[in-house]
Amino acid sequence: MIPFDLAEPTSLAAAVKLLDPDDATIRPIAGGTALMLMMKAGVFRPEKLISLRKIESKYSGVSVGADGLRIGAMTTLSALERSADVRKNAPVITRTLLTLSNIRVRNVATVGGALAHGDPHMDLPPVLMALGATLTVIGPKGERKLAVEDLFAGYYETVLEKNELIAEVHVPAQGTKKASYFKVTTGSADDWPALGVAAVIEGDGKAIKSARIVASAATDKATRLKSAEAVLNGKTVDDKLLREAGEAALQDCEFIADVRGSVPYKRELMKVYVRRAIREALGGGTH
Amino acid sequence: MVTTLNPGSAKVGSQVGRSVPRLEGRDKVTGRAEYTHTMQVPGMVHAKLFRSTVAHGKIKSIDTSAAKKLPGVLHVVTVDDVMKVLASPYYGPAFHDQPILAHEKVRFVGEPVAAVIATDPHIADQAVQLITAEYEELPAVYDEVDALTSKVYVHDVLKPAGTFADLKHLKNAKDTNLALDYRLRRGDFDKVYAAAEHKFEHEFKTQKVLHLSFEPFACIADYKDTHVTLYDSSQGPSFVRTEIARLLGWPENKVRIKVPYLGSGYGSKLYIKLEALALALSMIARKPVKVAYTFEEMFYQITRHPSTFRIKSGVDKDGRIVARKCEVYWNGGAYADIGPRVTQKSGLTAAGPYDIDNVWIDSYALYTNVTPAGALRGFGVPQLVWAYEGHTDMMARALKMDPVEFRRKNIAREGRPHATGQMLKDSPVEPVMDKVLERMNWSQPFDKGSGTVKRGRGFAIANKAVISPTTSVAIVNVSADGSATLYCGTVDMGQGSDTAMAQMVGEVLNIPAESVRVTPRDTDVTPYDMGTLGSRSLFHMGHAVKRAAEDARDKLKALAKEVGEPEGSNIPIAELFQKRYGMQAGNVIGSGIYKPDYTPPAPGTGQSPNVTPFWMVAGAGAEVEVDTETGHVKITKLINVVDCGKAINPKSVETQISGAALMHLGFTMFEKMHIDGGQVTNASLADYKIPGFHDVPTVMENIYVEHDQSNGPFGAKGVGEVATFCVGPAIANAIDDAVGVRLMEMPLNAEAVYRALRIKQGKPLEDE
Ligand SMILES: Cc1cc2nc3c(=O)[nH]c(=O)nc-3n(C[C@H](O)[C@H](O)[C@H](O)COP(=O)(O)OP(=O)(O)OC[C@H]3O[C@@H](n4cnc5c(N)ncnc54)[C@H](O)[C@@H]3O)c2cc1C
Repeated sequence: MIPFDLAEPTSLAAAVKLLDPDDATIRPIAGGTALMLMMKAGVFRPEKLISLRKIESKYSGVSVGADGLRIGAMTTLSALERSADVRKNAPVITRTLLTLSNIRVRNVATVGGALAHGDPHMDLPPVLMALGATLTVIGPKGERKLAVEDLFAGYYETVLEKNELIAEVHVPAQGTKKASYFKVTTGSADDWPALGVAAVIEGDGKAIKSARIVASAATDKATRLKSAEAVLNGKTVDDKLLREAGEAALQDCEFIADVRGSVPYKRELMKVYVRRAIREALGGGTH
Repeated sequence: MVTTLNPGSAKVGSQVGRSVPRLEGRDKVTGRAEYTHTMQVPGMVHAKLFRSTVAHGKIKSIDTSAAKKLPGVLHVVTVDDVMKVLASPYYGPAFHDQPILAHEKVRFVGEPVAAVIATDPHIADQAVQLITAEYEELPAVYDEVDALTSKVYVHDVLKPAGTFADLKHLKNAKDTNLALDYRLRRGDFDKVYAAAEHKFEHEFKTQKVLHLSFEPFACIADYKDTHVTLYDSSQGPSFVRTEIARLLGWPENKVRIKVPYLGSGYGSKLYIKLEALALALSMIARKPVKVAYTFEEMFYQITRHPSTFRIKSGVDKDGRIVARKCEVYWNGGAYADIGPRVTQKSGLTAAGPYDIDNVWIDSYALYTNVTPAGALRGFGVPQLVWAYEGHTDMMARALKMDPVEFRRKNIAREGRPHATGQMLKDSPVEPVMDKVLERMNWSQPFDKGSGTVKRGRGFAIANKAVISPTTSVAIVNVSADGSATLYCGTVDMGQGSDTAMAQMVGEVLNIPAESVRVTPRDTDVTPYDMGTLGSRSLFHMGHAVKRAAEDARDKLKALAKEVGEPEGSNIPIAELFQKRYGMQAGNVIGSGIYKPDYTPPAPGTGQSPNVTPFWMVAGAGAEVEVDTETGHVKITKLINVVDCGKAINPKSVETQISGAALMHLGFTMFEKMHIDGGQVTNASLADYKIPGFHDVPTVMENIYVEHDQSNGPFGAKGVGEVATFCVGPAIANAIDDAVGVRLMEMPLNAEAVYRALRIKQGKPLEDE
């Protein structure tokens, strides 16, 4: 790792001004857990890092209103894990965080970093996507809204401009919806997932009104399983339907092979865990 | 505290057998303990390495010009520069085969080709990225079985170091990758196997895994024209001193190796690693030079041996194993390191803890074009047990015999000869197995699971011979105030040896272990020790320490007599010195040396009445749940049992067992260096995962049985490795019990189990 400059602006707007849309060697840094890995590996060599640690404190907390949860981009994953509001309004997030990496990483890693990195192996993006979360993004021209679903452009790629920052995540109120998330690891228990499947279901008993199902990690980016959703919507769940949904999910995914598993194996995992995620959401899990 | 000569109230045995908390524990948890990796030496500069990107090739050119221009860079060094200060830049414990920097050829991806010395490690790093090299690529050999017959030769000529008698015949050998062919022959395998009622033949494999000590490799060399000092994260400072003295052509007393605490080693920091390089760089820079690895670089220094083990057994109609043939291929990587010793010393136990009259063992150390392999907690034995305990279970299953009864019928008991011919003594295999079975409730009915989750259980037993013959020397110094200091070369790398050694001193001198000072390792001060390896220290150094303490005690008694104290006097030691020297002055120095008896194995047959001073014995039992839809295996119970002789420090014994077992749980279940065309594709902790707390089995028991080791210090023997042996096969046997599939290769990860299930169903999963 080689030396670089570090700026510590005290507002998000000031941070945006320090970024350059055409210079990839200037980058924001939040918790630094993802960026440091890239810097240590020599794949990213910054000229300048813009730390977000000193920006307005309102971006590092969770608040709740009638329309749902607001999560500041600088909220650490452990603050999110311990938030009573999150536990009450979207407990699937709380459950997901318990096995997301380890306490040392969660203590510094942030929600904004987990999203902006575009790493398909992260646990939070599929969950937020399934919950229908949206982002507030701030750039030189002001604010825009963006669905988390539309954030990812590809493997480690997002649609954000180099001088745009995620300010906030908005998780809409879930009403009576139920949710589940499965993190499937094939290495150590706290490894990055080989597959993540999140399901958020609006239904009545075994009858599904609408389902949002998202897969990640086995795929090049967090991916909504629309074909599987189509199989499920308006139907009553039984084993046969779940199998069909599992098979349908394969059509939506661009699988990638890595040390965590081959493509044929990840396809098998996908079929099994789409089923399990739906069953879990219907059976036990509340949103 | 007043130390007295014959304290009446102290009861013998008050220090040994007590769970004394680690003497250095407080310093470590408060961040005060010193480690080489974080150490600073005045005037120190830093080196970083430029590494080969090809697995096998001739070096055509190295361009260092851009790197040299970077401000802060002091030197950019290739082997040509090294050879100006050290004419013959090759080192190694078994062969002088490893160059300080690649010389003419590169032999594995990651091999150091050039070094940058700079004022700052980050500058050195940046400069490394400006170096380029051109290679003429050569065909490479990666697999250990291929290496035996391949026409690709990793080395043109073999250069045995001369230390080991059984390597002499390889001097100047050409057109071979064989760095040792060890043989054991007992009885007549061919004849008895041919006539056996049942014949079994299996091939087992293990993958490439590594130590990943918490403190990466680090060495600081400070060369002066008259002497050299190395600050070194080493498990064997005595060997380092000898090898550095050899490279310099100097007497040993001009070479000083200082070793602070180690952030673990597991065998990776044995013999010689970064020391020769640091020495050469310091000679060139004429300044202290530090070489300290990142975690990512650890994948290019030393690993465990991958292995292929072909095992054949003939069994008679009563279920007795009558003949066994073991062919073991060890993938040693590009440089031999201590591989030939792994090949021989573990090779001799390849037939397992069984009573078999006709045994044939061939054990081959092979060069290949991957990161070198060496000792890793078990010195090859875990790879062997993986095979022979899988084989044992497979035979029992095929013979429709209970795995317990099959083993009981075949265990080699006390007084029976081992395959080497040595009579077994203090080798309580059956009691250890019985303890495993008791803790597993083996005789009770077992729930095999239902639906998509199937349950199974399995166990394994094993033994190992401690490496021999080796020497340890210790000094106990009693100062004029009665306090005692121990000088011993055993390196405390987290296993708790300082505490155990202090307990032995305390036991002999009748003082609390906590009051004994153990000096940091420094070859200018601490006497010779062969190395902290192979579970040898508590036994060998333990003897030396005990003898040194006894020598000091005897000298104190003689001093008492000299100053006119009556027999049995309980005079404070300080008064004794006062009486003799007229003031607080003087020392009593006790010394002790230990080297066990040994008879070299007969060439060609490996037979010897005395190959080892003690046997290590282990057993493990596992219960698993297998998810038949995904292949995931959950370990619900892991029982580890070892024989420790006498537990000098019961808590340390327990933590050695749990640490060893969990380390091997990682190797068993998921750890693997993925290698593609010689390139490690997961060379970082992001992609090479080791067990964390969530991987600890639901129930885990770490148990020792105390079977007095009759020739051990206080009846003790080593336990650093023993709990590693059985974890792998116990789990594989449990998986077979649960779902009827047999995995012949580690790791037993979910995909491997799932693929085996699919093959069993006649619907194999496509490859990619
Ligand atoms: C050992 C280890 C294990 C891990 N295991 C897991 C796991 O099992 N599951 C999992 O989900 N994750 C895992 N992670 C990843 C972790 O969740 C991410 O590293 C973390 O969420 C990134 O957050 P950060 O604040 O540290 O981001 P940083 O490293 O600071 O930044 C990451 C990227 O986001 C950009 N960025 C940061 N904040 C913003 C913002 N507000 N607006 C725009 N761009 C921004 C940065 O420029 C950078 O490109 C692991 C990480 C480590 C180190």
